[in-house]
Amino acid sequence: MNFVLGQLAGFGDAFIALVADPVTYIYLISSVFLGIVFGALPGLTATLAVTILTGFFGNKVPLDYALIALLGAYVGAIYGGSYPSILLNIPGTAASAATAMDGYPLAKRGRGAEALGLTTTASFVGTLIGTFALLIFVWVLLLISQNIASPEKALLALFGILLSGTLMSEDLVIKGWISGMIGLAMAMVGLDPLLSEPRYTFGWSYLLSGFQVVPVLMGAFAIPQIIESLRMGGVAQIAQLKGRIVPKLGQVRRYFPTIARSGVIGTGVGSLPGVGEDVAGWVSYGVGKSVSKEGKTFGKGSLEGLLSSETANNACIGGALIPLLVLGIPGSPPAAALMGAFRINNIIPGPTIDPAIILRVVAIMVLASFTMFLMGLFTARIFIKILKLPQTVFLPVVMVLTTIGSFSVGGGINDLYLMLGVGALAYGMNLLRYPIAPLVIGVILGGLFDETFRRSLFLHDGNLAVFASRPGAAILLAMNVGLIASQLGPVKRGFRRLVTRTKGAS
Amino acid sequence: MSLDQTDQDSRSASQQPVQTANDKAVLRARDFWGALVLIAVSLFFLWRTSFIPLWGENRAGVSGGDWYNSAALVPLGIFTAMGLMAVSVLVTSIREGGASRALSSVGIGWNGFEAWRIVTITVSLVFYIGALVPRVDFIASSGLLITALIYGYHTGNPRRMGIAAASVMLAGLYALIAHFPQAEWNAPHDDDMVTLVIWAVFTVVVLVQARGSSVMKAIPVIALLVPTILVCAMAFGFRQNVPNRGGLLFSQIEYNYYVNLRPLWRDR
Repeated sequence: MNFVLGQLAGFGDAFIALVADPVTYIYLISSVFLGIVFGALPGLTATLAVTILTGFFGNKVPLDYALIALLGAYVGAIYGGSYPSILLNIPGTAASAATAMDGYPLAKRGRGAEALGLTTTASFVGTLIGTFALLIFVWVLLLISQNIASPEKALLALFGILLSGTLMSEDLVIKGWISGMIGLAMAMVGLDPLLSEPRYTFGWSYLLSGFQVVPVLMGAFAIPQIIESLRMGGVAQIAQLKGRIVPKLGQVRRYFPTIARSGVIGTGVGSLPGVGEDVAGWVSYGVGKSVSKEGKTFGKGSLEGLLSSETANNACIGGALIPLLVLGIPGSPPAAALMGAFRINNIIPGPTIDPAIILRVVAIMVLASFTMFLMGLFTARIFIKILKLPQTVFLPVVMVLTTIGSFSVGGGINDLYLMLGVGALAYGMNLLRYPIAPLVIGVILGGLFDETFRRSLFLHDGNLAVFASRPGAAILLAMNVGLIASQLGPVKRGFRRLVTRTKGAS
Repeated sequence: MSLDQTDQDSRSASQQPVQTANDKAVLRARDFWGALVLIAVSLFFLWRTSFIPLWGENRAGVSGGDWYNSAALVPLGIFTAMGLMAVSVLVTSIREGGASRALSSVGIGWNGFEAWRIVTITVSLVFYIGALVPRVDFIASSGLLITALIYGYHTGNPRRMGIAAASVMLAGLYALIAHFPQAEWNAPHDDDMVTLVIWAVFTVVVLVQARGSSVMKAIPVIALLVPTILVCAMAFGFRQNVPNRGGLLFSQIEYNYYVNLRPLWRDR
């Protein structure tokens, strides 16, 4: 109990410091607004919002303001994705795909305003649940993580890449793993971290320092999105919005168990390395469908279905920040962009992170969720008007934003060439249904994996048993092996047979 | 088939999750080629990895250490794993009929309209990043790109897409041919003038063809304001480096900012 009270006191100090600073509000309101706009416009994503703002604010303003801008945009964008899902039946972001299942049928029945109001409330509560989990669990995990050494770090980085590849792949799981391997391979470019041996530089001095994170992020997330979405821009047919958006208290109270359950699920999914808000939304929707009394009406305009996905995707944000801050492993693609911002500010998330930064992140998250809540309830009609903007108008603007953002972080034209090259690769991978998130996570974690894997061997004279002899490493090794084995054909078939037999016996 | 339908079809082919049996068959045919490329890339980089000392070679009389110290160790594992996984994708593709469909355009889901759309966007982006941004004023080059992309893709008309790509390519080609060496990127302004003229002519064409379209009428405003505000915010607000500081328009803005504007509040 003392621990929780101590945490709340630390959070309180950070919160008051932020609230007392008038500049906070400028960054907060503008970033949440921008985030909601990015989320609401189909073709723009939460990852893109955080990535582009990293280019602009990453290392140009004090870290606190940069974090407000990035986290505000992150929270706003995940929530903003619900607007086109409900009103156009087009998910604004992948995280809101499940929202469209029930949101649009509700809007068609004239209950769009009610759906938006409840979604706003659910997103707000979901973000707070995730943030509370961040405040509490991050310290517990930090204490544990201080005892992990190079072998555990190497296996954890590998697990993050493999898990992201497994869960983000919409076709063959192996494609997700290949994507992660491509990211790892990209991280090998430049001077190696132990011996400063140049690798794959092809005589180009720019490559000696390796691939810079921001141009890779911009290339991986912005360029394919621009190429893919730059199509004929028609005026969207928005469902009519009648009635008040502010929800009734009784209705919120009625659905509170659903919101609480989805918040916990979202936080849990978010805390898995490399798994994003879209997975959280679908998992929560699936659980909601199976446990709810309204399960049969899911997909036909159920408020419970709507709240299951919308709460979870926002709760996922706090969850995704846990592995990022504790282990330096991003919990979602936007968190990977956030990791880029930390890096260009010379802050290494992980066991050695300054605890004050974690408390400030929590305080910013709470402020951002309040801002999102108020904006969602009272300025929703502005965002609805923005939905009418065709993507052929804003995508060229995004291209220019991406170019100048990427250039200014590194200050060189080579970063732009890198961005273009990574963009072409990512677009090709999109065409072949290779997920992009594992690639980015591979680039970010590749250096850590390489360094810790080789350091482990170096300290133990090349004895590979070091990855199995330490308890933590043995557990992580088993998790890695289990994850790979679970995708092998014979194991899958055997598991299916076992399930069938168990069912038959019972 | 109307253009709208073609566009919708192409969207369903590349954007939506794998749904129908035909989508899956097309994907497996593409996987066949994708896996072959991946195998080739893995082999190439395995060969390049062999350049990095692995077995404790001596370098300038100093021992390179043991195999587990080698900088080649992790890349070796990565490219071997990537190659093996690519073989697995290839086997899956062949088993599911991808190889037999891979040699026909229908098999890989070829869509002429979609290919034209992607090629024209790629040409615009390559010439913008590769030729215009390093050499030409950022406001002029970005203004031209925004004008070209909105004009070219808003109506989904293939002819317009071609015109858009050609205009960016023309400006880019001039800049590349006239001022290829890096030493000339900032100096002369003739490539800025060429880009500016192409942008101006293009804007007139857009306005003539606007015919009541509010988006078309808004293009010149967006194309001028967005890059100007961005580059000024970055240079004077965040005090960051911006592309081509010596560009025709930006150098004038910068001069007037420091000589005429800034003293208004600095000298008080």
